[in-house]
Amino acid sequence: MITLTLREPPPVPLEADVLSPDTIAPLTIDEIRALPVQLGKRQRRLDDFFAVEGEPSDEVEIHGDVRRVKWIGRGMTRGVLRIRGGAGMHLGSAMAGGTIEVWGDAGDWLGAEMSGGLIHVHGNAGGQIGAAYRGAPSGMTDGVVVVDGSAGLEVGMRMKRGTIVVGGMVRDFAGLQMKGGTIVLRDGAELRTGAWMNRGTIISLKPIALLPTFAFAAAYNPTFLRLYARRLAPLGCALPYDDQQGRYQRYTGDSAVPGRGEILVWQPRG
Amino acid sequence: MPEGRKGRTMVLVDIRETPSAKAADIFLQIRPGKDFELATTLRALVKGQHVDAGRVAETGVAVERLQEIVDRMKRARFGVIFFGMGVSMTRGKHMNSAAILSLTAEMNAFTKFVCMPMRGHGNVTGADVVLRWTTGYPFGIDLSRGYPRFNPGEFSTVDLLVRGDNDAALVLGADPGATMPQPGIDHLARIPTIVLDPKVTHTSRLARVHITTAVTGVSARGTAYRMDEIPLPLRPALVSPYPTDEEVIRRIRQAVAAKPAWTPAPATLKGSPYTSDTGRRL
Repeated sequence: MITLTLREPPPVPLEADVLSPDTIAPLTIDEIRALPVQLGKRQRRLDDFFAVEGEPSDEVEIHGDVRRVKWIGRGMTRGVLRIRGGAGMHLGSAMAGGTIEVWGDAGDWLGAEMSGGLIHVHGNAGGQIGAAYRGAPSGMTDGVVVVDGSAGLEVGMRMKRGTIVVGGMVRDFAGLQMKGGTIVLRDGAELRTGAWMNRGTIISLKPIALLPTFAFAAAYNPTFLRLYARRLAPLGCALPYDDQQGRYQRYTGDSAVPGRGEILVWQPRG
Repeated sequence: MPEGRKGRTMVLVDIRETPSAKAADIFLQIRPGKDFELATTLRALVKGQHVDAGRVAETGVAVERLQEIVDRMKRARFGVIFFGMGVSMTRGKHMNSAAILSLTAEMNAFTKFVCMPMRGHGNVTGADVVLRWTTGYPFGIDLSRGYPRFNPGEFSTVDLLVRGDNDAALVLGADPGATMPQPGIDHLARIPTIVLDPKVTHTSRLARVHITTAVTGVSARGTAYRMDEIPLPLRPALVSPYPTDEEVIRRIRQAVAAKPAWTPAPATLKGSPYTSDTGRRL
């Protein structure tokens, strides 16, 4: 395992897309220390900011407050990345495989345009989780993002496939222009959830405010939720699906597009 | 223009009855913070889609009223939507603007429609236009990698300042000290801030350096872009003892260019697998 410890938080954001198992695993310790990172417009060495220790492997652990370090785990395809102390923007952006686990908060664009793998944030996350970058047609195409805390604006914007689970409150525009995939909101959302969605599923376990362009369709317990519940249970996310406990109100929209997405709002029995 | 004003219909949408309401033919009073809901409902109605009447009523306007407006818009031969900061600076921000833009684009399936933002003080349109033809993007641009990267929210001024991401600021033709959220203002006061302005602004008071410049259009020549992006040459009427913005920036650039290069010596990066001599990707 390779351990990187932040010496002190950088004065301005540090762009360190080299911090991924794919880049680090085949290198010697000295080569890892010499990896280039970008501080403002200056290129610097990785060991200017991080103390690097351990044996080369595709298990990487990062210690320290790296909330100002951007692009960690960019495009990673394998291995494990553990971050103890928060992460900056674009964590796991375009990742295709492997696991990222964060004990702390993550910034905006978490797992943006990812195509596989698992990201688990034990704290809060920023906005644009699994989203498409500005001007890009689609966001994440596969993989799972789990956030135990709250999340920001435009969660899952233009996502195509994959799953996002948020434990806490989500801010406005969750599932904006969604094209597919699943967003699970365990504690509900603020406003404009599912705005302009085309397809895909948003599951909310709490009542949420809906746009006028969503229409009530049915109250039922979709069969596929049993499969989802089984898949998400090991990640600490329990989904109710039992008729004895309650039912889901299904709303379709957004008719402004017009789209055929669905918002399922859990309603406990009684 | 046949019939002049009489042949035209003006619809005003606002949260309160402003003096403009008297000039309008139809006034729609909506509840604050419902711009996105209203524009999205209009988009659905334009396509003849179903909307939930109860939730439409929460915007402050009944669905029948909106249907009338949509029918009127479709009947028009040339429609224009003007929108101001009440749309773009309230909750939802860029998505409120995006809703107006989408509505306008979709109206063109029926008739000619355009929209135009009503800009705030200063030559905002000019800044957008010039940044667009120099970098390809209107704002929120980062050039630290040597090429433009566009990401509002990451590189836009207010977000940079509120997060405290920058360690210096050059303020030109703006007064962020009067309009930014408090954490942003605190950060401007914390870092070396340089202000170029003809007068002492709120930002100058918290800046390290204030450079007084000549007023463009009064005592300095320049170009202003009208709201419809027409460039207008400005000729000075008076002589100013102060230098122009352009001259100050040119002299700062000359002084910066005279400083030693910032690039690290190749030795410090030696052994990096990312340097080209190992043949791997840069």
